[in-house]
Amino acid sequence: MIFVLEDTINGILMGSIYGLTALGLTIIFGVLKVINFAHGSMLMVGMYVAYWAVALTGLHPYMALFVVVPVMFFFGYYVQDLIIKPIFKAEKEVREPITVIIVTTGIWYILDNLTLLLFGPDYRILQDNPLRGKMLEAGQMLISVPKLWGFCAAVVTAASVYVFFQKTRMGRAIRATSLDREAASLMGINQYKVYNIAFGIGTASAGIAAITLVPFFNVYPTVGVLFDIKGFIIVVLGGLGSIWGAIVGGIIIGLIESVAPQFMTATWTEAIVYGLFLLVLFVKPSGLFGVKYDW
Amino acid sequence: MTPKKINNCALVLIVLIAFGVPLVVRSATYLHILILLYMYAYLTTSWNLVGGFAGVLPLGHAAFVGIGAYTSTILSLQYGVSPWLGMIIGGLLAAIVGVIIGKPTFKMRGAYFALATIAFGEGIRVLIENIDYLGPLNFNGPRGLQIPPLDTGLSRFMFEAKEPYYYIILVMLVAVLALTYFISRSKLGFYLNAGGEEPEAAMALGVNVARAKLIAMAMSCFLTALAGTFWAQLTLYIHPKSIISLDLSFEIAFIALIGGRGSIAGPVLGALLLRPVSDFSRIYFGDTVPGLHLIIFGVVLIVVMIYQPRGLQEPLTRAYNRLIHRFFGPQGSGRAA
Repeated sequence: MIFVLEDTINGILMGSIYGLTALGLTIIFGVLKVINFAHGSMLMVGMYVAYWAVALTGLHPYMALFVVVPVMFFFGYYVQDLIIKPIFKAEKEVREPITVIIVTTGIWYILDNLTLLLFGPDYRILQDNPLRGKMLEAGQMLISVPKLWGFCAAVVTAASVYVFFQKTRMGRAIRATSLDREAASLMGINQYKVYNIAFGIGTASAGIAAITLVPFFNVYPTVGVLFDIKGFIIVVLGGLGSIWGAIVGGIIIGLIESVAPQFMTATWTEAIVYGLFLLVLFVKPSGLFGVKYDW
Repeated sequence: MTPKKINNCALVLIVLIAFGVPLVVRSATYLHILILLYMYAYLTTSWNLVGGFAGVLPLGHAAFVGIGAYTSTILSLQYGVSPWLGMIIGGLLAAIVGVIIGKPTFKMRGAYFALATIAFGEGIRVLIENIDYLGPLNFNGPRGLQIPPLDTGLSRFMFEAKEPYYYIILVMLVAVLALTYFISRSKLGFYLNAGGEEPEAAMALGVNVARAKLIAMAMSCFLTALAGTFWAQLTLYIHPKSIISLDLSFEIAFIALIGGRGSIAGPVLGALLLRPVSDFSRIYFGDTVPGLHLIIFGVVLIVVMIYQPRGLQEPLTRAYNRLIHRFFGPQGSGRAA
């Protein structure tokens, strides 16, 4: 019994980190109406930035936040500005341009393979960092400390993005654009600047996820693919465009992955996750928290 | 000569040259590269029936390659059924699965459709990786299936030389191109085009868009599965991770988009441009610059999408027409096939 409880807690913790990795995906979809296939690669870039920031300076892993978040924000900002914007302009009248989806796939391929070129296929992990393998003992249960911090980071990040969207002027402009970009443009909102900033915020949140992952997760060029597919499943489960939906969807996936192996072979959990995903797509494509008209 | 005649002559010439290639190219390596090129052109042309004409973005077609490969291989290994028959059975099975999957997914909009097809493709791979035996059928899980090269010959779809494979895939490619040509000129083609561009308007005019899309999907899946059998017989080894990979699904879509989706020549042009990049960069830079071809793919894709969103077939067709115009006078400038 105690094992099930331990697995449940660890599932929720890891799941919230999955949710954090998918948060940027849902933000970007909410505003641009585009699935960013390169999101996992953005996460991978964030992990490399965090890894090198810590490995070269010897800082505490979480102090890398001050390097990674600005770097990732501007990275996302300029990827959108230089690569995705021209395509948006070319296909103005289409609401969900397919070409943009495929271009983000191109960005994914470039980023993953450039990283492979620069850093090689090695698996890197931050040796002797203070968080690695650290466990919290609660009764008979062992709870991973970096995952606990990841859970906190997920909740805080989602909450601050939510507050930013609801309370600030820029947040309102972003929400207006996501509802109706023509109307927003007519109100004097610079649509493409809003897209740049939304993309930057989405990428920066991937950076935060990268920091929470780096203390206990391997860093390698294709690590993003792992979170890419998982991220798609999470955001559809939670409802594309919904911030809290991403966190809840992540926790559901985390729970399935950690609790289901108690009852079946571990490799089958993956099949269950895909099955659940297709089921949600067919039965309720708007997901748990999604808006109905958005599919 | 009329433009139509010139185009027909050019086409016949190209096909004749393609059939004559093995008389000149004797190296098995180069023949293999050409075989793969034709196979990708074939796969992309089949994909194009849905991804191009029906205007959606399916990203899980590797699953149908897998269905074809596994059906014919299991039937021939365990029941001694000729792979040729298995090929047809696999194709029919893939068409049925395609319709089952297509019915709910075609209702979805762009992004959701792409995600659903990815999940479907990956789901099929995970299922096969997890199944050792399904009733009497041996899938052999993640280890894949090996076809022992015992009896070669046409009836067993197994040859010692590369030439027969070359001719088989070339015939398949020419056939699928001809089929695409007729579909694009048929009622179905117009329905698909209308439904892809303006579904509401098409439906208002009484076009059954959903039915047209399902027919296209069934044909596309059937044809894709045939290539799966071909692949299995060519490599004599099928493995879930390599044959139902996401990379294959994406590469098909890449080739179509760079070449020009929704056109007949686009997929072939795309394969002609991208496959050599992929093969030769792997041969010459595989150990020094791993993944170089994927970087090139990505860059080419982004550049093409920004400057030629309808693919490279458009500027190339224009250049071809200008060439005809120069050599055969003004009456020669017509539409290229």
